Amino acid sequence: MLEEVIRSKARKLLEEKRVDLIIGWSEGTVSLKTAPKLCRKPEDADQLVWNPLCSVNLARYLKYYKKSPEKIAVLAKACDARAILVLLKEEQISRDRLVILGLPCLGLLNPDRVAEALPGARSRDLEWKVGKLLYRGQPCDTSLLMEETCRRCRHHNPPLADEVIGEPVGEPGYLHDDYLERYNRMDPGEREAFFNEEMTRCIRCYACRNACPLCYCQECFVESTRPLWVTPAPTPFDNLLFQVARSMHMVGRCVECGACERACPVKIPIALFPIKVEEIVQVEYSFEAGLSEESAAPLLTYRENDPEDFIK
Amino acid sequence: MNREDWEPKIVAFLCHWCSYAGADLAGIGRMQYPPNVRVIRVPCSGAINPLYLFKALREGADGVLVSGCHPGDCHYISGNYYARRKFVVLKQFLEWLGFEPERIQFSWVSASEGQKFSQVIQEVVDRVREVGPAWKMVKDYVGHA
Repeated sequence: MLEEVIRSKARKLLEEKRVDLIIGWSEGTVSLKTAPKLCRKPEDADQLVWNPLCSVNLARYLKYYKKSPEKIAVLAKACDARAILVLLKEEQISRDRLVILGLPCLGLLNPDRVAEALPGARSRDLEWKVGKLLYRGQPCDTSLLMEETCRRCRHHNPPLADEVIGEPVGEPGYLHDDYLERYNRMDPGEREAFFNEEMTRCIRCYACRNACPLCYCQECFVESTRPLWVTPAPTPFDNLLFQVARSMHMVGRCVECGACERACPVKIPIALFPIKVEEIVQVEYSFEAGLSEESAAPLLTYRENDPEDFIK
Repeated sequence: MNREDWEPKIVAFLCHWCSYAGADLAGIGRMQYPPNVRVIRVPCSGAINPLYLFKALREGADGVLVSGCHPGDCHYISGNYYARRKFVVLKQFLEWLGFEPERIQFSWVSASEGQKFSQVIQEVVDRVREVGPAWKMVKDYVGHA
């Protein structure tokens, strides 16, 4: 099984002292959730897991080792690897200290939906095999169990890896469905009403920011008091402004992993905001974040004939 | 305040090298334009952070204008080219979220275009007047007007 391969690779890396630290996932304390796991000793590697509930984007933890001399191996789903690529481009981590163990991924499952549809399921009962989701070895209906952000995924294989564990995956066997489309199709007033309503539930815990692999500022604008950009109190309009400003920081950087949405304790579809921004970037500047090391970030370059029909 | 007494309040972020000088020229040439605009001078349109615009709306502005040098004329060579890319994304994103496009407007005004400056201000004020006060965005606003 793939999990065994991952464990033995990890153990070997630590035994041979090729890395000091391995960042992976382990079984969490809550059912159907996995937790990030830092392995420093070879025996720690036995706790590593790999299943469709390994939802944390591990690229997020690299920022803590920016200045450390340690060599780090990181398990990376396709979106984790894309986030690492963006971090490398932004010089947030050095490539020579990093061993990327790429994992082709067909998508993550939503723990709530799994719990509802498959009572008694544990994360180890679920696995992807040849494009199909298996529950205790039996194929099961996939699309309704998946995270919305994963159902619209276009990049299932890591674009950057020192070693890929498992076979590269092709087209998934489930229906590709872009939930952004559903919101694009709403008429503007309806969409505005929807977001205003959703934003009344936000408690401004900043879990979305904290889960994001690409939010690494030492000081965030939301914590600035002079000037006070957004009020700390979770008023609906400030909540929306926070999301708008957060998304504007993600222009040409967001890898659409959906970590923010999965982290949201009140389940607001907040990944929609940066994903919409990425859609604009893709249409206007034909750019997608985290796919190539060479292409310039869209806001760090320009063309003389860029569109400007909205400017008087 | 009643809707009848309301006058639009516009915060204009003008680049030091072109639009600010353009505004100056409009003044020197005694060109008429509505007094609804409050000018904030910035080094370059490329220095505009979207947070500045939100802050202005939050503090009670009904509309915001960002104005800089024409493409190719930037004092810092390319600041306005970068700004333009940023504004494309910002504008489309805000409209998608249901912000009125009239609230945040952009223009290029050179130091010699005093006439254009007064026209731009007239246009911006007219358009903001049409959409009305931005009470929803103001910090202390509670309930419906």
